[in-house]
Amino acid sequence: MSTTPVIEVERLNLTYGDFHAVKDLSFEVRPGELYALLGTNGAGKTSTLEVVEGHRRPTSGTVRVFGHSPDDRRAVRPRMGVMLQESGFSPDLTVRESVGLIGRLTRRTDDVDRVLDVVDLTGRAGRKVSQLSGGEKRRLDFATAVYGTPELLFLDEPTTGLDIQSRDAVWATVDRLRENGATIVLTTHYLEEAQQRADRIGLMHQGTLHREGTVSELTHTLPGVIRFALATPVPPLPLHAVVDADGKVVVESFELQKDLHLLLGWAQDHAVELRDLAAGPTRLDDVFRAINS
Amino acid sequence: MFSIASSELIQIFRNRLVLITSLIIPAAVSAFFVRQHETYADLGSLGYIAAIVLFTVAAFGLYATAVTTLASRRQNLFLKRLRSTAEGDAGILAGLLLPVVVLTVVQVTAILTALAVVAGAPANVALLVVAVLATVAMMIGLALATAGLTNSPEHAQVTTLPVTLGVIAMASWVGITGTENLAWLKRLLPGGAATELTMNAWNGGVAVTDSLLLLAPTLGWVVVAVALATRLFRWEPRR
Repeated sequence: MSTTPVIEVERLNLTYGDFHAVKDLSFEVRPGELYALLGTNGAGKTSTLEVVEGHRRPTSGTVRVFGHSPDDRRAVRPRMGVMLQESGFSPDLTVRESVGLIGRLTRRTDDVDRVLDVVDLTGRAGRKVSQLSGGEKRRLDFATAVYGTPELLFLDEPTTGLDIQSRDAVWATVDRLRENGATIVLTTHYLEEAQQRADRIGLMHQGTLHREGTVSELTHTLPGVIRFALATPVPPLPLHAVVDADGKVVVESFELQKDLHLLLGWAQDHAVELRDLAAGPTRLDDVFRAINS
Repeated sequence: MFSIASSELIQIFRNRLVLITSLIIPAAVSAFFVRQHETYADLGSLGYIAAIVLFTVAAFGLYATAVTTLASRRQNLFLKRLRSTAEGDAGILAGLLLPVVVLTVVQVTAILTALAVVAGAPANVALLVVAVLATVAMMIGLALATAGLTNSPEHAQVTTLPVTLGVIAMASWVGITGTENLAWLKRLLPGGAATELTMNAWNGGVAVTDSLLLLAPTLGWVVVAVALATRLFRWEPRR
């Protein structure tokens, strides 16, 4: 497989009037990877994505998609599918007509009925877009993005407003595309999705890339956590912990296995019950919470 | 482009409001003028009737419909969606506007043919075709520029008024009073020169070379409108 990046962003700047939305941002997305661009609200990720998708021109810096400018629609668009954050379908067209129209305009070929089946909209094919629920519109959007099995797929908050079955179906389709080597760029507010699926994460904050790396690279910068509750007074704990008034205990640890072993040994020796015991590495949520602290 | 055009045509026929303003009203007004052609020929001339039906269809059927369509497609982000495909901007606009342009040309042709049948053929059909095409081009240009100033389809009801009423007023002013007085003013305002050209083509009696000079102001408005449109036109709603 080629190792030339699918997306190259170099020193990207984007300003709206006085507001500097994106500052000197550089990153690349490699073939076949799922890159999650995450960030706090207003971090600049949608602006960045819009430049990479070709909807917005950068104030300065260069962006290449498959080695072309994103403006070069004829070269770039047939190879990429875009799921926008907001819908953008004509309310008077039916579901089938919408998929057919946008699909044809991508210059890829596919079977409309097959795509409708993938997103479970076959039963809604003849309905007007104005009659769809919010979740059905998201699935319609996803259908136009995966029409013709593109090599690169942009998913801007793909599962917002979807029930759990639809979410699973979306990810099953994405997984199939990935098996065929597709590259995925994802933004989402569901950090679990990113944590489970992303090969690499770019964490944006105030227009810059605050952190970048694999999930474990990001979470290893923060301690793991052991939580449990104590019902009765106990001998002094063997390690540093924060105990609240209800007896809930939180232990932060950079050596989770060793500290957990110590704790369990102590509990065994003193016949202490550790209720609701949970231990794990830092979650992405905590990495997010740590941004501002 | 043709994929977009055919989907637009479907949408026009599904949306009753657009169908009424773009097809029924201009057709009804035009039918009235054709039926009452003797009265209006006395007031102005047969050429005046040709000009007023041309501008009625071009103002309501083409211009106002095009502005409303573009504002509506922008507001619901359909334009952004189209721009996320491989289609270029020119192809997108052409596809969106093609159905209403074709409907306009068909309507104008049908109505002027009806007028010719009941009142007699125009003196110079070729010149009439030129006048119609120049008018259509001008109204498309003005529609693109106006669409840039229009935030929503509802807003279009206000933003299209100056041009729709203006060109129809010009057609009547020039058609009834001629261009003996205030000739320059009448020819320079949008629609004035096109009205005079249409009247010359229908009534005859004016040298074709003189008539063709009247194309200049109309094409000038096309240039002005397109220049404005390139500055004003937006593909996404204001945030």
